[in-house]
Amino acid sequence: MLSFIRFVDRLNERIGHAVAWVALAMVLVQFLVVVMRYVFSIGNIAMQESIWYMHGILFMIGAGYTLLHNGHVRVDVVYGEAPPRYKAKVDVFGTLFFLLPVTAATLWLSWDYVINAWKVFEGSTEGSGLPLIFAYKTVIWVFAVLVFLQGLSLLFKAVRFLRGREPGYPVPPRLNGRAEDDPEAVKEEV
Amino acid sequence: MSLSAEIMVLLMFLSAIGFLIMGYPVAFTLAGTGLAFALLGSLMGVFDISILTAFPQRIFAIMSSEVLVAVPLFVFMGVMLERSKVAEELLDNMGRAFGSRPGGLAYSVTVVGALLAASTGIVGATVVTMGLLSLPTMLRRGYNIPFSCGTICASGTLGQIIPPSIVLVLLGDQLSVAFQNAQYAMGNYAPDTVSVNDLFAGALLPGLMLVGMYLVYQFGFATLRPQEAPAVPADELISGDRKAFYRQLAGTLFAPLILIVAVLGSILGGLASPTEAASVGAVGAIMLAGYKINPKGAKWIIAGAVSLFGLFLITWFFDLRMQRDVIPTTDWIAIGVALVLSAILAAGILVGVWRTLQERDEDGTPVLASVGRSTVQISSMVFVILVGAAMFSLVFRGFDGDRFIEDFLHNLPGGTVAAMLLVMGVMFLMGFFLDFLEIIFIVVPIVAPILLQMEVAPGVTMSPVWLGVMMGINLQTSFLTPPFGFALFYLRGVAPKEVKTTHIYLGVAPFVAIQVLALVLLWFWPEIATWLPSVLYEK
Repeated sequence: MLSFIRFVDRLNERIGHAVAWVALAMVLVQFLVVVMRYVFSIGNIAMQESIWYMHGILFMIGAGYTLLHNGHVRVDVVYGEAPPRYKAKVDVFGTLFFLLPVTAATLWLSWDYVINAWKVFEGSTEGSGLPLIFAYKTVIWVFAVLVFLQGLSLLFKAVRFLRGREPGYPVPPRLNGRAEDDPEAVKEEV
Repeated sequence: MSLSAEIMVLLMFLSAIGFLIMGYPVAFTLAGTGLAFALLGSLMGVFDISILTAFPQRIFAIMSSEVLVAVPLFVFMGVMLERSKVAEELLDNMGRAFGSRPGGLAYSVTVVGALLAASTGIVGATVVTMGLLSLPTMLRRGYNIPFSCGTICASGTLGQIIPPSIVLVLLGDQLSVAFQNAQYAMGNYAPDTVSVNDLFAGALLPGLMLVGMYLVYQFGFATLRPQEAPAVPADELISGDRKAFYRQLAGTLFAPLILIVAVLGSILGGLASPTEAASVGAVGAIMLAGYKINPKGAKWIIAGAVSLFGLFLITWFFDLRMQRDVIPTTDWIAIGVALVLSAILAAGILVGVWRTLQERDEDGTPVLASVGRSTVQISSMVFVILVGAAMFSLVFRGFDGDRFIEDFLHNLPGGTVAAMLLVMGVMFLMGFFLDFLEIIFIVVPIVAPILLQMEVAPGVTMSPVWLGVMMGINLQTSFLTPPFGFALFYLRGVAPKEVKTTHIYLGVAPFVAIQVLALVLLWFWPEIATWLPSVLYEK
């Protein structure tokens, strides 16, 4: 259980750090498009489309990372002040009945949608656009898988806390490979 | 439509609200509730499950919307400005400039709130910053506690309504679809469009009107009870040379003002789309942050900023299109100058990027990386809710819920006025429990197409800009209203111990009244919202 949590947390952390640079790239490319368009009257459809791609990659592929850092907004009226056991129970319930089914359904519902795009190597509707729509649509799968995995990690953490194997809740991201800062883990691995 | 479908719609809404209050992340709760009811309805034979196959298209539409790209760019700009401590310096210097008159510290909070609103528009951050910096100062100077709290909460929420605001981008995006649907439904197949630009232009005057009303209230308070908002002796505020202070004040005001003018000016001037303007703002924020790290050795950044301005001027006066057959010599010279300026600008941006990469924040992460990570988290938070809401509304439509609501609103005794009041009331109440995102993504697509077909006067349908501004101010008000307003929670979290929750509640009450008054004014004089877009864009 713990090694799964570690694996997923580190995976999404790394992905999140990588995607953070996409945000910078988005700013710079969009700015370049603006300067080219308004100063030199040069339009570039492929560049414009690459900004949409970066936008989608940013929030879809970064969604698991956001979940890892508890960044998806919650309604705080009750949850904010509630004791840790309540929070863990809500997370078990919500992950089992909302997050896992939703991400599984997303993968299932988008299966044909993405496969069909691959079959024809779907490209842009614009002649000079990027011929990569099929790859971009695949981002939906990546989103579903990454959030599903992070959801499992959240579920396991909540269960571990409820069983008294974690000192507090919410459990922080488990990013260290070394076990010594985690006495519970040492026991489990021995 | 069968009775059981109606009951299912109602149950779905009630359970969604119940589950949301439980506290699991909104995005998955909305989608999960929708999915569960879809399965349930399909088992009962009142729901066609194949409707769900439209879900991936809905996701893809969110991924490829040109308007929504503005959100991560504005978020990047806001987070970068927050890291470069623009707010702190503004509050400090404005407090010193205004503090020597009664109520002065309150005015400075309101003015800074408006300035920050126009440059970033992230509400939580503004309330927290002002709560941390201004509240202790105001209390130490003997300001009335509720008055100080109310001022900070209200000024902090201005970011929602003063453009460029993320709320307005998302609201504008939803309204433009709703408006198109309304026009189609009325048989107009070549409809006008309403854009985020229109909504920005529409919200500007009402936003400034609110700032004015806050200031009038604060002035009244300080005049009637000067001992509760005392003047601070001028000598304590400005130590030493007065001229040097004013130069410093001008320096701190200059950069944010330039950013505001560049971003808002290009949007309202009809030159740029919000997305394009946001990228200019974000690049400006990188350069500003780079400048602040070491103002003395920032020659390239200053040169870059000047070049940007130069480029703007040159574009204005010369024709720089290179793909022409005949280019006059003067234009060739202008093109050459523009290329040089662009190169200097690029160097300035690179220096800004380099410096924010070298500078580390408290936990040793490069500032630029941590701004990028915050941008990922905030954008993902916003758009995954939109994905979840897409599932929810898909199921809602599958149950014919939209027709159910339409019949209901059309059959209200009292017509348009009653329908509008009801919708505004429901949004206001929802604002107590839910974030603005859920309300905009769920309620607006359902009710706006219906409202926009209703007549406000014989033969005249409701203006989408007016509706958007009303909704925006309404939501802003509900974030301010006890007991559950979000701004109140933010302030509660950072307020010193002597501040009681009742102080905050008491303090915001007059501001809530001002908000309601603003809504009433807009109701009777919709031109406050519709005049500026009509002049700017001739609509």
